[in-house]
Formats: sequence, C-alpha cells, structure tokens
Amino acid sequence: MSAGQTESKPAQHHLRRNPPIVGEAEAIAAAQAGDEKAFETLYALHKRRVYSLCLRMLGNVAAAEDLTQDAFLQLYRKIGTFRGDSAFSTWLHRLAVNVVLMHLRKKGLPQISLEEALEPSQDDGPRKDIGARDLRLSGSIDRVTLERAVENLPPGYRLVFVLHDVEGYEHNEIADMLSCSIGNSKSQLHKARMKLRDLLRTGQRKEAAV
Amino acid sequence: MTDCADFQDRLPELFETGANLNEEEHLKQCENCTALVRDLEYIAQQAKLLLPIHDPSPTVWDNIRSAIKSDMGQNSSTSSSARSAT
Repeated sequence: MSAGQTESKPAQHHLRRNPPIVGEAEAIAAAQAGDEKAFETLYALHKRRVYSLCLRMLGNVAAAEDLTQDAFLQLYRKIGTFRGDSAFSTWLHRLAVNVVLMHLRKKGLPQISLEEALEPSQDDGPRKDIGARDLRLSGSIDRVTLERAVENLPPGYRLVFVLHDVEGYEHNEIADMLSCSIGNSKSQLHKARMKLRDLLRTGQRKEAAV
Repeated sequence: MTDCADFQDRLPELFETGANLNEEEHLKQCENCTALVRDLEYIAQQAKLLLPIHDPSPTVWDNIRSAIKSDMGQNSSTSSSARSAT
C-alpha cells in the first residue's frame, strides 16, 4: 500500500483515530453543565492521545505531563465553547497542539510565526535523493528505532508527521489545527518522511560501521 | 538526474492524489527513485504502529483536579465579592 493510497482511505484513518466512544456525547454535555465526574470521564477517554502527542513533541516525560495538564485545564475552561462542528477528539487535539506550540515558542522560537516555526532551516531539512548510493533502507525498522528517528525530526516536521501518519488526521484538519495552509501541511509531511528516511539510513550506516 | 529531480518534485502530489506509481515511466527505469518510493511508503506504514504510547502518571489528574478546585474557589469568591459589592 502506498503512502498516497493510505491517504485515499479516510475511513480507515477515521476508524483508527475517532472510533465511536460510548458515553462520550453524554459526558461532554454533562461536563459543559459543570459535572466534574463527567469531566473526569473525558480525561480518562482522551488522556493517552493527548499525552502521547505531548511526549512525542517534547521527548520528556515531566514536560509532557505538564503540558497534558495544561491542555486539560484549557479544556475545562473552554469546554462550554465546544459546539460539535468537528469531532471532540479533533477539537481537543487542537487545544493540545496549541499548548505544545506555545511551549515550543517559549522554549526557543519566541519571535517567529507559526509558518516559520513549521519550516525548519535548510540545514535541518531533507535532501533530495539524487544519486545511487545506499539505495534503500535495509531490513525492517523496529518501533524503537522509528520512535527515535521521529524524536530527531525538527519540531515542525515532527508535529505534522505525528498528526498525519501516526494519528491519522487529514491535511485539512491539520491545517485547521496549525492555522496553516493545506499545501503547507502536505509539503511538511513529505519533507518529514524524506528527513526520516535520511535519519534512518544514517542510523543504519552507523550500525553497519560498528 | 534531471528526471529524478523532476520526479521527486512531483512525488508529494503523486502520494497525495493516490496515483498509481507503477504507471510512472520514470520508476520503470530508475532504481534510485523506486527505492525512495518504497522507503517512503514503508515509513508511512510503520508510523501506524506507533500509537499509542502509554498513560500519564496519576499525578497529572490529581494536579488537574486541584487546579479545577482552585479555579472554582476563585470563581465563587469572585462572584460572592461581586454580590457583596452590590
């Protein structure tokens, strides 16, 4: 199955990302009315997804837990504004993405726009693969190796890669979450995959040299 | 080489549109770009195996609950001071 073919099967993504959750709609309505227990239910349903996103973006358990906490506090304060125009998990993810981006800006990108934050420097970007060296990745890549390579992607690439390829969001949803264009999201994804390939091949070359 | 550059410029769109890459003339003659396409497909497939990681520690919920209680305390004291001011 090609990456493009994967993209052309939104139903499969939808199943992976937003399976119907029994009781979620009721919990949302009750939480909007101030029911704390219902809010706890929403936390239980979504904590793993939000935490996974934070952990992948920050690579640090303590920071990821802090941001998970911030994201759910924002959810608590803003849940009354949820109107159901998108899936609740998408809406919550947008909140979490904003928390992550704010954190990244505070950490080192205070003066630049989101579009710039999403566009790594030329040095960090992937190379075109022209020339016949090390033709393809050899053997299979285990989960740990891929996780490590994802951690080494520049933040903008990592975010789009995680949202699209790992979590299964569509480009229009990502563009909405990141307030960027759909074209920008597509371009970032391609560059992220190319960069990952660079990182994985570099890792394999190093292993082979040992 | 120019063919490779041209093909790789078009590649994001080919992936996004779900085009049948087997019909791409360039791939029939270019081992390098064929390997690139296979690798990118493989990476996209493997990415699906990365979900989920695991749960945050129970402390996270404890902190959220405390912050909510503190929020509620502030709100109720704000509304009671507003009431007493009137």
